[in-house]
This record gives sequence, C-alpha cells and structure tokens, in this order.
Amino acid sequence: MLQPGVLSTLMPALAWAGEASWPSLLLLGLLAGLLALDDTALAQTWFSQPLPAGVVTGWFCGDPYSGLVLGLLIQMIKAGDLPVGQSFVGDGTIPVVAGTGAVVLGGYQIGLPWTDAIRETLALTGWSVLGVGLLGAFGHWLIQVERRAHVLWMLEGHLTLRDGLLGRIERLHFRCLATTFLRGLIFGILYLLILLRFWLPAFDRLPDRGVEAAAMLPLLLPGLGIGTLVDRFAGRRSWGWMIAGAAAAFGLARWVL
Amino acid sequence: MTGNDRPGLALRLRWQVFLRSLTLQASWNGQRMQNLGLLATMLPWLSQQSRNLNRDRLFCRRYYEFFNTNPYLSNYLIGGLIRLEDDQAAGRPTGLSATVFRDSLGRAFASLGDQLFWLGLQPTVAMGACLLAIVGWTQGVVVVVAGFALLQFVLRWVSLGRGYALGLDLVDLLADERWHRWIRISRRTAAGTIGLVSGALLARLGSNELVGGHVLPWIGLIVGWALPALLRRRLPGEGLLLLASLLAVVLAFAI
Repeated sequence: MLQPGVLSTLMPALAWAGEASWPSLLLLGLLAGLLALDDTALAQTWFSQPLPAGVVTGWFCGDPYSGLVLGLLIQMIKAGDLPVGQSFVGDGTIPVVAGTGAVVLGGYQIGLPWTDAIRETLALTGWSVLGVGLLGAFGHWLIQVERRAHVLWMLEGHLTLRDGLLGRIERLHFRCLATTFLRGLIFGILYLLILLRFWLPAFDRLPDRGVEAAAMLPLLLPGLGIGTLVDRFAGRRSWGWMIAGAAAAFGLARWVL
Repeated sequence: MTGNDRPGLALRLRWQVFLRSLTLQASWNGQRMQNLGLLATMLPWLSQQSRNLNRDRLFCRRYYEFFNTNPYLSNYLIGGLIRLEDDQAAGRPTGLSATVFRDSLGRAFASLGDQLFWLGLQPTVAMGACLLAIVGWTQGVVVVVAGFALLQFVLRWVSLGRGYALGLDLVDLLADERWHRWIRISRRTAAGTIGLVSGALLARLGSNELVGGHVLPWIGLIVGWALPALLRRRLPGEGLLLLASLLAVVLAFAI
C-alpha cells in the first residue's frame, strides 16, 4: 500500500490513477534540477548519488521502496565510477529521478531479488534499470556538451582581464549553475515522459526470452558491481578487510535468516 | 586576532566566500578546470577593497589560470590565498607569489582529497547506504548521506578559517602524518564495507528460488572482477549494465 508522499499531498489528483499530470512532472523536474546541481556543481553532498536520489524521489512520490530498488541497483553498478572532474562518467542522477517517478506515477510494481518478488516483477525491475542505464549513457554525452559550453563561457571571461568588469565573471559563473539546473529540469521531465509513455509500456510486448533475460538482470548487477569494486580495491592490505567483512555479513545474514 | 594570536577571517567575508566555495565546480571546464569557480569564490575579497582597475585586472589574471583541486579540501587553500592577498595588500612581505602557492598546494590537496574522499569515504558511504538498503532500512540511507553532507559542510567552514589563520604555514599542515593515517583508515573501512555488502548480498541472493538465483550473483561477481584485467580498462557503470544485458540475453537462451 502506497503512503501519500509530498507530491501526492501537493497534487492530490495525480499518480494513483496511473496518470501523470504536468504539475507533477514539473515538481519532479525541479527535484531532478536540484539533484543535478548537487551532482556536478553545487555542494556535492552525495544526495545526488543514485541510491539516495532514488529514495528521496520515491519518498517525494509516496513510494520510497520503488526508489530504493532502482537506486540500489544503479548505485551498485556505478559504485566503481569516480565522479571526479575529467573522469566523470555517465549520469546516475537525473535518469534515476525520472525512472523512480515513472514507475510510481505509472503504478508499476518493482522489487529486489531477495524479497518475495515474482519473476514478472523482477523482469520489470530489470527492464526499468536498463532504461535508466541507457538514459544515463545519453546523460554522459549531455554533461560533456555542457562542459564544452563552459569552455566557451570561460574564454568569454578573458574580457574581464582587460576591462576589469567583475560582474561579468559572476554572471558567467551563475550561467553555468543555471545551465546545470535547467539540464536537470528539462531532461528530468523528458526522460520521465520517455520512460512512462514508451519504455515501461513496451515491457508488455517483450518476447518470453526477453522477459527471462530482464528477470536475470537484477540478479547479475549486484555481483557485477561488487566484482568491479573488489578489482579496484584489491590490494595486499585490503583483502583481509574485505574477506573479514564478507564473512561477518554472510554469517550474520545466514544466522538471522 | 584569534586567541592563539593567529589572524581570523571577518565573519561576513567568511560567509560570502564559504557559500561561493560550494559552487567551485559549477563552471568546471576541460581547459582550465576550476579557474572560473576559484575567481568567483575570491571576488568577495576583491569587492571589499577600493576599486583600482589595474590591480583588479591583475587579481583576475592571477586566479584565471589553470586550477584544479579537491572540492572538499579546497577551502584550506582558498583561506590561505585570501590571507596572502590580505598580507600583500597591507604591504607585509610574503616571500611567495599567490600563483606558486596556489599551484603547489592545489596539487597537494587534490591528491590528498582524492585519496581520502573519492577512494575512501565515497565508497564507504555509498556501500554503507547500500548495506542499509539491502536490509530494507530506507530512512537509514538518508541518515548516512545526511551525516556525510553535514560533515563536509563543517569541514569546509572550519578549513576556510584554518587556511586563513595558517597562511603560508599551510605547507606544515600538508606535512602532517595524520593525513596518511586517515587515508589508510578510510580505505580499509571502504574495503571492509565492500566486504560487508558482498557478504550480505550473496547470503540473501543465494536464497532466491528463481531459475539461476543461486548462480547468477556469482557469475556477476566473477565477470565484474575479471573484466578489467581482460579488457585492461575499467568499464563505466553504464557499460557494465549493457554488458550484463547482453550476458542475460545469452543466458536466457542457454538456460
């Protein structure tokens, strides 16, 4: 049973009937804009990381669990990516906001493999994660375009080195901030519409083998993400810590379960 | 002057610089990286001085060159640079140009910060949040990330004042052994948290009753581990997802 969230409190007429209204899309777009700022431009509090972004969006829409499912799987697969300057890869923020919004507004059910999720639920989860991942790859290209624009605006700032007009520097810097926010707002809404109108409904037309493959994705992804992290952190001094942690968690989980 | 005879940054200026420093990365560009962000952060200091066109142009030129450092530790350096500007404006000899100070310390803080934050704290916080998500504690995810956010805001605020107070003595701060101890601890914590998550996942995924539920997590783990060695490069998350999709299609036909 979904609990009413911020979005549903603000817009009582939306969502639960499976309809996405423009005000709700706009509110989710604003959230995507804020989290896009946090991701690359402002404060970098890590609320824009896929898992917290998913949970916050899910909470915003009234279904934090859906956000947790999408966010966790994307977080695991992107755990080895370093969001540092030049090595920044992919976009794990705006697509997760859009994906969570689309799942909740569309009334879809997704779940994690270790819960009592049935095969179809897992397959829809895999299909949603794939959609979010493809948009994330496109988002990488968008971020690169934005950064090329930053170069042009930075070069424009050279005029201040000649005329001493300090206001120009402030305007250029603010323009960069505003562009990032608008990228989140516009593409958050666009991604949400793509997922809600085309990607998620296309799941019903998948052949049996496609559904089977989609159901395997949530089982493959966590291991793949952990494997990448193990490769990144593997070292003489790290092995002991990793093995001790794994043994403790495995034993505790088995004992509790 | 502060209690220990070190000069302090005026509160109003400190707030202005602190708030702008949060946007240091906003105008990141491939040519000079954080140069526009650094200049925008330093402008409140310049705005407090009387207008002098030639000096203002030189100030902008100084801070418009290539600059890149770790955003979480950047305020040590920004505080130090403001102190240097203050000293030079007051006619006190500094013995070092702001450009040399900025470049050498910027690189050092970038190296320390990247090891401490991106290779230590980031995976620890991310995996800690994942662990809480796996056990189903949704609020815990928000609490962990909010805890980190608060910590970094405090660090940025404190380091701005400390950077100003130390000035050129920031070099001594960099030589402190504790940086390397924290890096070691954070990397070991990250490794331990990765272990905790992998243990919890494998235990929970192993109980899955669906076809392949026992095997697929292990296949993912082995592929994820072996792939960088085979390809001689690490694939980004989206690349791994596409690869996993291909693998799933192949397995769907094979099983």
